[in-house]
Amino acid sequence: MIRALYRWLLWLHPPAFRREFAGEMEWIFDEASPDGVAPLFADGVISLMRQWLLRSGQWKIAAAVFGGLVEIVAGGLGGLMFAHAQMEARMAVAPIRPPFTPAEITAMDNLMHIVIWIATGVVLMVVAVVCWVRSINGKRLHRLAAGPMR
Amino acid sequence: MSDDASAYLPLSPATLHILLSLAPEDRHGYGIMQEVARQSEGQYKLGPGTLYDNLQKLMNQGMVENAPKRSDDDDPRRRYYRLTPLGRSVLAAEIGRLEGVVREAKLHLRVQSPRGAA
Repeated sequence: MIRALYRWLLWLHPPAFRREFAGEMEWIFDEASPDGVAPLFADGVISLMRQWLLRSGQWKIAAAVFGGLVEIVAGGLGGLMFAHAQMEARMAVAPIRPPFTPAEITAMDNLMHIVIWIATGVVLMVVAVVCWVRSINGKRLHRLAAGPMR
Repeated sequence: MSDDASAYLPLSPATLHILLSLAPEDRHGYGIMQEVARQSEGQYKLGPGTLYDNLQKLMNQGMVENAPKRSDDDDPRRRYYRLTPLGRSVLAAEIGRLEGVVREAKLHLRVQSPRGAA
């Protein structure tokens, strides 16, 4: 049970690190666990955080995607709520019927601007993330092609 | 070579202990952990996560490399590591640096101790 838990902890590490060292770490766990498993688990948890936060660039992609989603949701919802409130206020004074008044056309215009800005933001974010991932992969390929440094 | 080596200084305690444990002979991961504990008389204990994080860095920097297995009976999960010439020269440079630090520290302590006694 404890061994399975440690294996699961190792499995949570970034794939590259796991492929390279998980087997050996498991073997060390088998050898060292009679002396106590608590330090091994503590080390495993610290290692997990270190590998994801410091050694792997994956968290930056996750943060960028999360930030993008927050921006889209907050911007989109905020814009829609603002436009809806404006329309409701106008409808309370005078119900909408075609042809639209200049004020209504301006409100629709504002809504379209918000949609266009959100779409532009999404496109720029996707381009930035793709460029960044490509540069990371390029560096990795370069390192693999060059072999060990020096 | 010494210029190359000095670019890596100062070494972290974990890196120093790992390089030091590999200086006399090739070792596997658990062997390195045991040797580090022995060298420091149990005061510094490396966990497997810290060990392999440092080993990965040292291998990327070309200071440590994989060594062949000693026998076919070895556990297949067990891998051996050894120092490269660069790793050895970095270790030598770090020991030289530490010798300077110790010399300086002793000098200052010697100068200060009579005042402290008076």
